[in-house]
Amino acid sequence: MEKVREALREGRPVALFPYGDRVLLWVERPGGQKGALGLTETFLLGERRRFPSLAAEFPALDWFERALWERGFEPVGHPGLKPLRRHDLPYTFREFPLLHEVPVGPVHAGIIEPGHFRFSVLGERIVNLEIRLGYQHRGLLSLIPGKGAEAALLLVERAGSEPVAHAMAFAEVWERALGWEAPSRAQYLRRAALELERAFGHMGHLAGLFTDIGYAYGATQLGRIRALLQGELDRLTGHRYGRNFLRVGGVWREGQPDLEAIAAYREELARLLPRLLKNPQVLDRMRYVGGVRRAEALALGFVGPTARASGVGRDLRQDDPLYPDFTPVVRQGGDVLSRAQVYAEETLKALDYALFFLRHLPAGPLALDPPPGEGEALVRVEAGRGEVVWFVRVQAGKVVMAEGVDPSFKNWRALELAVRGEGLPDFPLCNKSFDLSYAGSDL
Amino acid sequence: MSLMHTLKVGRLARKLEEILKVPQHAFGYPLLKPAGLTPRAREGLIHLCPGEAFAEAEGIFSLDLARCVGCGRCALVYPEAVGEMRSLEVAVTRKEDLVQRVDLKRGGFLDPGPPPFPRTALRLPTLALREVSAGDTGLADSEVALLGNPFNDMGRFGFQVGASPRHADALLVTGPVSRNMAEALRRTYEAMPEPKGVVAVGNEAISGGVFAGSPQVLSGVDRVVPVDVYVPGDPPRPGAILHGLMLLVGRMTQRLVEGVLR
Repeated sequence: MEKVREALREGRPVALFPYGDRVLLWVERPGGQKGALGLTETFLLGERRRFPSLAAEFPALDWFERALWERGFEPVGHPGLKPLRRHDLPYTFREFPLLHEVPVGPVHAGIIEPGHFRFSVLGERIVNLEIRLGYQHRGLLSLIPGKGAEAALLLVERAGSEPVAHAMAFAEVWERALGWEAPSRAQYLRRAALELERAFGHMGHLAGLFTDIGYAYGATQLGRIRALLQGELDRLTGHRYGRNFLRVGGVWREGQPDLEAIAAYREELARLLPRLLKNPQVLDRMRYVGGVRRAEALALGFVGPTARASGVGRDLRQDDPLYPDFTPVVRQGGDVLSRAQVYAEETLKALDYALFFLRHLPAGPLALDPPPGEGEALVRVEAGRGEVVWFVRVQAGKVVMAEGVDPSFKNWRALELAVRGEGLPDFPLCNKSFDLSYAGSDL
Repeated sequence: MSLMHTLKVGRLARKLEEILKVPQHAFGYPLLKPAGLTPRAREGLIHLCPGEAFAEAEGIFSLDLARCVGCGRCALVYPEAVGEMRSLEVAVTRKEDLVQRVDLKRGGFLDPGPPPFPRTALRLPTLALREVSAGDTGLADSEVALLGNPFNDMGRFGFQVGASPRHADALLVTGPVSRNMAEALRRTYEAMPEPKGVVAVGNEAISGGVFAGSPQVLSGVDRVVPVDVYVPGDPPRPGAILHGLMLLVGRMTQRLVEGVLR
């Protein structure tokens, strides 16, 4: 157990999921060489569905342990178990007797997924926010075992609102479990779709932020370019969100996106985004709002732009040898403006890499059938919101077990921290600056 | 497309007939070809489809558009048996109209008769919408939101999204209705004043889609609230959703009867 604590002190938990009647903990430690596979360590804990809880000391594991508790495991010594996704178990909100409670949701005013937010406010200032999810729980993970690659991918693409990233992680984990790799042309096409998806998603975040502060010019311009970018993703993959594009062994098809158009959008964004983010109205509403400190991001294991806006310079693309000269976009402020700046700069970077992959496609087939066999593996892919994790064990062309973690699952705590001390009217702005996936958390 | 071009052109909004077309590079909706449905092709289609949209029973071969994920592989591998419908005017008022059925003995499509019209009480000049996601991954929600972008601009047709169900004329529901969300959906529907319509947006909202059979979902919006219009797609493109809204208010007609465009 001391080795586990030491690893968690140095690094960050990646995933915690059942493994027979024990639980498997994956930890990422800093360091390692570019392209190395040894960045993660695994620990097998507990026995007979009981395992020692580490959530009191390492709060990043809290939601993982609560999810396992819902599935019949017992985290011995957990400081305060509550349901995460199941609504048939009793749930008690934390109460502050002298404060006013403001319940919001699950149905919200905008076009957004459902979730329940319980604010404890003093005047207009938020003292505490408690988030209750589970409304989007469809039992996706329990549907995957027993399925073949194609049927499983259909479900995996619905594990979050970033289908390309999830499908890419799942296809790669299947291939790696069999000790195989897809053709290099398919690898380039996968990453091109991933970068277009990232750019498209980030512009949605930014357009939503500008809408929330009433900056119609910025919202309209970004909405226009976002729609055009979605058209290019559609041309490349055949689907407006990139579904039905990836398969185990490669990709299904190769569309013909307009590279000149993508370059033109990139140039227009390079001129537009800095100007939008320097607007005094934008600065006045976004700066110093919804702060998340670096120490909090490290302790709670935040991922993706949320962590990078708080000074945690971690991006899985650093370890991908196919990304030449990649450096993460990092900001130190941790507020809404920092996250907006990370989204803006990452959008430009994503379009640059998308163009790189599409212009330097190596020759070769689009897909090959991997060899039969059995094995298990864990793969992580940097989606727009953070790292997507899939662990899969395959045997005779079928899934024996599959566990996935959407980056939103790790970042909801950031929203709770960000709004503490802020005015209640700023909650939608803070929420949109993370723009988390409810369905991705409620797998 | 720059701002100067926008100022010269005057506006970005696309014409309605443009919005209702399937883009040239994309696959539309599959269409069975009765003459090409050989036993080999039928068996191959049933095995090939990842969404399990094809079925055969008692001499009738059927294709359920509400289970089609839009990959287009059936038309690619069996072009003699499956064609393509390149229109987004696919919204229906009757769920059975999403299923193409071919009588293998007579070699033609079955004819179920004309579809029912939406209720005349919903023929309103403007429509305030409320959207509820009940287990959707977020993509159908995104498509509903994109109806309001500068290219689609549903506001010019009189549709806009309101903040409260108490001021809404129509409810757009996405997702297969997770069990945890069913009560909230029912309450949202009850909070709307009459007349009120419901549009099921996407395959999962129609019959569960890939989640059909999961114990955590109810597999379709019509199990919780009455549905006036169904819009198939995975997720449906904005043009298909717009056709659904136009169908709801009686400004456009239903073209898909028994799964075939008429």
